[in-house]
Amino acid sequence: MTTLIVIDQAPYGSWSGREALDMAFSLAAFDHPAAMLFTGPGVNWLRKGQQPDGVGQKSAEKNLSAAPLFGIEALIADEHACQQYGLSESAMLPGIELASNIQNVLSSHTHVVFAG
Amino acid sequence: MLNSLAYTLVITGAPWTSQAPQTALMFATAALSAGHRIDRVFLYGDGVHLASSLSTPPSDETHWPQQWSLFLKQHGIPATACIASALRRGLVNETEQARYELPAENLRAPFEIAGLGEWVEGNQAADRTLYFHGGG
Repeated sequence: MTTLIVIDQAPYGSWSGREALDMAFSLAAFDHPAAMLFTGPGVNWLRKGQQPDGVGQKSAEKNLSAAPLFGIEALIADEHACQQYGLSESAMLPGIELASNIQNVLSSHTHVVFAG
Repeated sequence: MLNSLAYTLVITGAPWTSQAPQTALMFATAALSAGHRIDRVFLYGDGVHLASSLSTPPSDETHWPQQWSLFLKQHGIPATACIASALRRGLVNETEQARYELPAENLRAPFEIAGLGEWVEGNQAADRTLYFHGGG
């Protein structure tokens, strides 16, 4: 049973995405399969070259690049949201799967957690 | 009872800034009276404020931390606040007070402080895990 952690809010403006990321890494650390879906403004987490120093935060980019290493099964981006936010594949971190129908992604997981 | 389920509840919304704790309490009460079980309550993010022993609402308002505390004690349900969320938001037990040399502890009984491992375990053990978010 893979748990899908969904991030649907932009990075850095609130803490909920960061805490959702901690949940995904924690599942992986306890050998529970986890995957992440980025949708809506949440796709901006996947942008290359983030510079969060300016707002006094740590970069999520490094965490996300290390996700496969820590055992997170997949990082999935909502293709439609990527188009909406002008995020091309070349501007995206490597190793991201694109999903054209997130309804399918959601329904293929029995356990779905939204960042609150 | 037929189709009796074990629930883990995760509360991420704080009392008085969100509806999450009272919705969760109403759900928990309804679930028990319908013959289901609440195995565990996990506070995460802003939800950890529910475990503060220092919250003091005006006397004509419902005291959600107190209500939750009574409910948990009455039914013997274990409840945990995530340690990382708790420390960031100024919620500490005696152990953390000593570790970080803080002037006080403010964890309301029967809440405990532990890591996300408790949540992972709760997920695994429960038939359903429900999330009560702050939204907004």
